[in-house]
Amino acid sequence: MASSYPPPFEGTGEVKEGFLCPLCLKDLQSFYQLQEHYEEEHSGDDRHVRGQLKSLVQKAKKAKDKLLKRDGEDKPETGSYESFYYGGVDPYMWEPQELGATRNHMDFFKKHRAARIDHYVIEVNKLIIRLEKVRTLAQTTADNHKLFSVVAWVSDTDVPFCPDCGNKFNLRNRRHHCRLCGSIMCRKCMEFVPLPLAYKLTSGTREARSVTGSQSQSPPTGGGGNVSGMGSRRGSISSLSSVTSMLEEKDDERIRCCLHCMDTLMKRQQKLEEKDHVPDIVKLYERLRLCMDKVDERAPEYIRMAESLNAGETTYNLDTAGGLRMEVQKYYELIDALSKKILTLGMKEEPQPHQKTLQLQRMVRYTATLFVQEKLLGLMSLPTKDKYEDLKEKRKQEQEKRLTQERLVAQKRRQDSEKNRPAASTNGEAPQAPRAPRMTKAGGWLPSSDTLHTCGELEDPLLQQIDNIQSFLRQAKAAQRHDEVAMLEENLRQLQDEYDQQQTSLAIALSQRLAQEESLQQDELQRLEDRERGEREHRAQSQAPGSQATYTWQGSLNLTDTGSLHGEEEGEEEVTPKAESSPLSMRAFPALTDQDEESPPRLRRLGGDVTPPGGEGQNSSSLNPFEEEDSTPVEDPSNPFFEEIQKEHKEVANGKKEYNPFEQEEGGEEEQGQAEGATGNPFEVKEENNEGNPFKEASGCTPPGASTNPFEGEDEEAMPDVDVIEEDLLLQQIDNIRAYIFDAKLNGRLDEVELLSENLRELQRTLQEQKSKTH
Amino acid sequence: MNVTLAVKQYISKMIENSGPGMKVLLMDKETTSIVSVVYTQSEILQKEVYLFERIDSQNRDNMKHLKAICFLRPTKENVENLIQELRRPKYSVYFIYFSNVISKSEIKALAEADEQEVVAEVQEFYGDFIAVNPHLFSLNLSGVARGRSWEPTLLPRTTQGLTSVLLALKKCPMIRYQLSSDMAKRLGESVKQIITKEYELFDFRKTEVPPLLLILDRSDDAITPLLNQWTYQAMVHELLGLNNNRIDLSRVPGISKDLKEVVLSAENDEFYANNLYLNFGEIGTNIKNLMEDFQKKKPKEQQKLESISDMKAFVDNYPQFKKMSGTVSKHVTVVGELSRLVSERQLMEVSELEQELACQNDHSSASQNVRRLLQNPRVSEMDAVRLVMLYALRYERHSSSILPGLMEELNRKGVSEKHCRMVTSMVEYGGKRVRGSDLVNPQDAVAITKQFFKGLKGVENVYTQHAPLLQETLDQLIKGRLKDSHFPYLGPSSLRDRPQDIIVFVIGGATYEEALAIYNLNRTVPGVRIVLGGTTIHNTKSFLEEVTLTAGAGQAERLQRAGGHPNRR
Repeated sequence: MASSYPPPFEGTGEVKEGFLCPLCLKDLQSFYQLQEHYEEEHSGDDRHVRGQLKSLVQKAKKAKDKLLKRDGEDKPETGSYESFYYGGVDPYMWEPQELGATRNHMDFFKKHRAARIDHYVIEVNKLIIRLEKVRTLAQTTADNHKLFSVVAWVSDTDVPFCPDCGNKFNLRNRRHHCRLCGSIMCRKCMEFVPLPLAYKLTSGTREARSVTGSQSQSPPTGGGGNVSGMGSRRGSISSLSSVTSMLEEKDDERIRCCLHCMDTLMKRQQKLEEKDHVPDIVKLYERLRLCMDKVDERAPEYIRMAESLNAGETTYNLDTAGGLRMEVQKYYELIDALSKKILTLGMKEEPQPHQKTLQLQRMVRYTATLFVQEKLLGLMSLPTKDKYEDLKEKRKQEQEKRLTQERLVAQKRRQDSEKNRPAASTNGEAPQAPRAPRMTKAGGWLPSSDTLHTCGELEDPLLQQIDNIQSFLRQAKAAQRHDEVAMLEENLRQLQDEYDQQQTSLAIALSQRLAQEESLQQDELQRLEDRERGEREHRAQSQAPGSQATYTWQGSLNLTDTGSLHGEEEGEEEVTPKAESSPLSMRAFPALTDQDEESPPRLRRLGGDVTPPGGEGQNSSSLNPFEEEDSTPVEDPSNPFFEEIQKEHKEVANGKKEYNPFEQEEGGEEEQGQAEGATGNPFEVKEENNEGNPFKEASGCTPPGASTNPFEGEDEEAMPDVDVIEEDLLLQQIDNIRAYIFDAKLNGRLDEVELLSENLRELQRTLQEQKSKTH
Repeated sequence: MNVTLAVKQYISKMIENSGPGMKVLLMDKETTSIVSVVYTQSEILQKEVYLFERIDSQNRDNMKHLKAICFLRPTKENVENLIQELRRPKYSVYFIYFSNVISKSEIKALAEADEQEVVAEVQEFYGDFIAVNPHLFSLNLSGVARGRSWEPTLLPRTTQGLTSVLLALKKCPMIRYQLSSDMAKRLGESVKQIITKEYELFDFRKTEVPPLLLILDRSDDAITPLLNQWTYQAMVHELLGLNNNRIDLSRVPGISKDLKEVVLSAENDEFYANNLYLNFGEIGTNIKNLMEDFQKKKPKEQQKLESISDMKAFVDNYPQFKKMSGTVSKHVTVVGELSRLVSERQLMEVSELEQELACQNDHSSASQNVRRLLQNPRVSEMDAVRLVMLYALRYERHSSSILPGLMEELNRKGVSEKHCRMVTSMVEYGGKRVRGSDLVNPQDAVAITKQFFKGLKGVENVYTQHAPLLQETLDQLIKGRLKDSHFPYLGPSSLRDRPQDIIVFVIGGATYEEALAIYNLNRTVPGVRIVLGGTTIHNTKSFLEEVTLTAGAGQAERLQRAGGHPNRR
């Protein structure tokens, strides 16, 4: 719902919007003209309601934008650079630019790397194969000669100096051959591959990792010459030195190789190790990020909800929001715990991890803290249950005000239009005024919801669209696509805004119509019945009619939650609905969150489809809480309907179960039950010929020709009662109008003053009449 | 045309390319400055970059669970270090970005080192400059001139920097240069050469009016960097020294530990962004407001958060509060230190005289005032020298110049020999002989009348009368009246229309006063976007160093020439 309601008496432009043709946006002064226009202009293209809907939504949006813009212009521009400088642009506000030029070298890089990698892979594989051979040979045979078969050894005579360190070979500095590539090096430049490592390298990762660290330290095997072993006589046999060297050598558990081969092998080993080793920090970090993502996803949703709730709107449920808050907070705790764990990783181990590792851990923790600080503390708090009620009340009053004002304007219009078309209203105008005050009461929205329903169960394209969107929303939520949910919700809200507006204007017409209908009679019945029940069952109830009314208002506006449903039902009997429902909702979290989230659309949809409890409209209507509030005790025990009501009272109980309190617009559908049956639909009512309802036509279902109002006949009977009942309301309304006049005078809107005083006079006259009647 | 945004976009693109997971940013000394000027640590931490390493640092551990983003200048050492790194990779994947054009052979060398296939990306991202403000960049190069020609190693570096700005902004400009400066011409040619060579890179969508690159030489306006400044950013740089948007406050008496070095970045500091170009007086008022605002938000000690709702309100506001307290203490410290220096060095008086020297044409009053201030013991050595320099530049050829007398005065004041010599160097650097434009004595009638009217009107603020020469130059450029004879086009074609996108580059360094002038031009002239760049951004101190380097080398050169070829004279 738009939070930008214009202050009273300034919104004439907006009211006008209510009479725009939804298809061509033509401004048609009054509802009647609109309808006529609609019939004339658009009866043909009604078939593509769907397509038009889109444009409808867009137009609604446009209108809203216009409105917002207009509001914006009203504000004086303060502090903006542009207002002082003309022409140029502050460099800080230069328009966004695309990413600068780039050039990619990866293809070239890959081309050259591929060649290199091929070479490298071949080398490594060759080494591994040889290593495998040498290893098995070393295990099976002591014959050094066999080693030649693996790789050809370089001839001693070809290599006078060590190729790695450049020292000359002589008696003291003897030649050694690499078992893997056959090259020659000196003792200093020699490396050994321990057998376990060789085993591991050749057999993949199967081997234990314990070898990892030890391979560089040559394992000290027993002192003294060890000739047995694998007969490791390094060097070529032809060399003189080999005999002596045998005495020193004890490399039965390892394979001699050169630096280069060793290097390659080590790299390979490292790779093998890393392949399936995931350090703790990564595991923790992944969970941390998951939580952060969740928060990023959820927090905006929550903030939206909280903002809406704090504004007293009823789009969201307080409990759902509370649950979401808990959920988000839980994630924050998790983030905190995980990042702490990351911070202390490896702290107790010896030796301490590398300082860079520690730095990394500190940074992760710092980031998490920043994240929590920024987002968690930015989460606004929700209003408490009580406060929320207050907020809603306040907002409701605002809406009422607006409605009243709209009604006044519409009245004027109607009066104008009636001058032109006196034939249109057969029932006369007299009842109009007495009926009017009802609109300003808490139940003021009722008729508008009535119309919604009367408009022919979802036949109103807007409603259909709302319904569609709701089902999309549900699907999107199920699919966890939050961005779409947000979009749809936004869409839904817009539609609802638009719809509300439409309904408001319809309501105005309806209110005038209703005055002529004997549905008022039914109202009285309800009132009487309620009162009767109230007296019979709970004396206490009558003491606090205000609070109850407030509560039920909430109930019927709230979208969700079995808790509050329950509370609502109880509310009829108990006077402490708040106390009851609030703890319930608190407890419902967080487990219920998902359910809660899903329920609004479902319930709403249900509401949309539900046919109000049949012909027994009267029964259910007696449940209407608003009526209850409205009903100032004008008891008439001798009411002829009294007995009937009593009889039906039991049926009411059933009806109660069925009726769905969770519709925003549909709220109070129970009343419309009969209103519908009766005359609720302004289209139908007005145009007796009944092609009147364009929406009905649109969906291709022709309503029964000339829907005769079943209650029409009773009109005259009901009227006096109604008037009597409204007395208190009249007084209130008179007060209201006086206040408006005062306000209008203050603001120098003389035309309005005039209009209002006329209204006032009318009201007073009616009041006089009533008084004379009752006494 | 926003240079800050350009670099930011490059960097966030790099990070984005590397996907999710913990990351380390591997940089060299210069790219570290480039990144740190545009991003704060917390901002970049949010992008999962947790470590910042220098490629040449030996103290790096194996961390295979990190992805490495390498942002490096394509220098020999960097490539060599990178090759070593790839041979023994410490991180799991490498995303390599060079800040400028790299040769094929170097890429090949890298490819051959990547035996373990750890490199996932090799690209050129042209963020090879330091983006100080959206319309101001620097290359952080000092001592670019040797006498009247380029220091040989710095010409390629400057060319690289300037072309990378063009690439980052996607501009393929026409080039104009200052005729009186050989360096400007050389640089222009060098840039042109790169554009021709890398024509594929510079193949941008053609705009209706091609962008313009204007290359100027600092020696044309040696007065601007010698003046004391009174706008916030310029003043901070003049008195405290801004280095990559950081100020070193460690010399401030009684400074707290957290504030030894503070960052002044308009990107994340709202107060700074709003006050960057305001003058000292206005900042004083604003800082007072900031304090008051802060006091209001600050929980009162006595009240002590009595109720839960008090506490809640406090916690709700806490992050803003904390952020604000950081801002408040930072700016209060900075402004406090500025005002301390102003009164200690009697900068109001000094500045007034500086402005008189720079803007007015009354020799007798000027010489009297200079003499009087030189005798004031509280005027610092540096300020004394700069006054004399200004006098020397201004009244270089005046018939009754009292320069020798002033030099004596300096000696008497005990100013070191080195500083005294600087006066001569300065005249040599920016004296009349060198200047191509009319810095002090406008010749044409329009300018003379302008000055005359200015004198009649009186001055609004004695401390900010001076408008840098650059402002006049650009004004003429925008109006299409900049003379081709003084600022010729490189190449045959010339711009017919009014220029729209202008990049001005000052060899020898720009100043914050000029940055302010450009800022105001951008804001007031419709349809024009100007970016200012310099080999560095000067305050008086760094400018004097630059001049010393330049002139010293120039003298050596001349001496050598004189010694080597005695017959030529």
